[in-house]
Amino acid sequence: MKIFKFLITVLTDKRVVLIFRLVLGITFVYASLDKIAHPDQFAKIVYNYKILPSFLINIFAVTLPWVELLAGLFLILGIFTESASLLISLLLVIFLFAISVNVLRGVDLNCGCFSTDPAGKKEGISLLFKDFLFLFMGLMVFFFNKGFATISSLYRKKSS
Amino acid sequence: MGIIYNSLSPQGITLRGSWNARVNQDSLVVPYSYQEDDPPAISLEDARMRFQSEGTIFLDARFPEDYKSGHIKGAINFPWEEFEEYSSQVLSKLPFDKEIITYCDGTECETSLLLARELRDMGYENVKTFFGGWSEWQKAGFPIEAEN
Repeated sequence: MKIFKFLITVLTDKRVVLIFRLVLGITFVYASLDKIAHPDQFAKIVYNYKILPSFLINIFAVTLPWVELLAGLFLILGIFTESASLLISLLLVIFLFAISVNVLRGVDLNCGCFSTDPAGKKEGISLLFKDFLFLFMGLMVFFFNKGFATISSLYRKKSS
Repeated sequence: MGIIYNSLSPQGITLRGSWNARVNQDSLVVPYSYQEDDPPAISLEDARMRFQSEGTIFLDARFPEDYKSGHIKGAINFPWEEFEEYSSQVLSKLPFDKEIITYCDGTECETSLLLARELRDMGYENVKTFFGGWSEWQKAGFPIEAEN
């Protein structure tokens, strides 16, 4: 019980939540760059997931990396932190669903998470684990972000 | 923002792509990236007939763990993602005069096509792809085997 309380205290500490926020933000910014540079390759990866109807594949491939980039930047800078962390958590839930469906289907799949390289590593279960970890971080930031080291809080202080 | 960037970028793509698996000139469902000059596609029935003839080698382009859990009986595992690691071992079992049929999971995967193209480029003239793959073969109840 004491360990549980200690864990909660540590995980909800504003400095730990800041680390979650920065890790998540940097990860999402990094993940978006190769997709923005190679939309054709990313569209092929989206196609391989076999979840979206074909008319949505290219639009999704063109817009999703920008959502990741902006949400990641907002998290790093601490602007609209709750909204950005909620958006990223929702994206992670969608990714978890998409990856799980394909793991269950037994389909060979390059996740396209960080690279659009067609010869990219295929990870399956370990990818689900990573996604759960990021989702956990996203939810911690959403629920326990106390405006620590954010541009929004600096702006509020100046205004008052 | 993404749509604006895409319309200005030289790497930009059309917003409405053509992604459906399509039907080729022999009325077979093939992946969207299949081209008519690719190694020929064969049907399930064709694959079964060739399976019964002795001169045909089936190559399973899926991951080793998928292969081990079940594959077309007698097929050799040649995972496309691990081509380099497997090539010396598998190519020694592939005489140039034999008929080779590649397959993977089904029309949703393309590794069988990529493997067939590579083999053709290496000089194997009698390479074909069974796009129905493991899922069609298994569903039809044709001979399979697994490794423990």
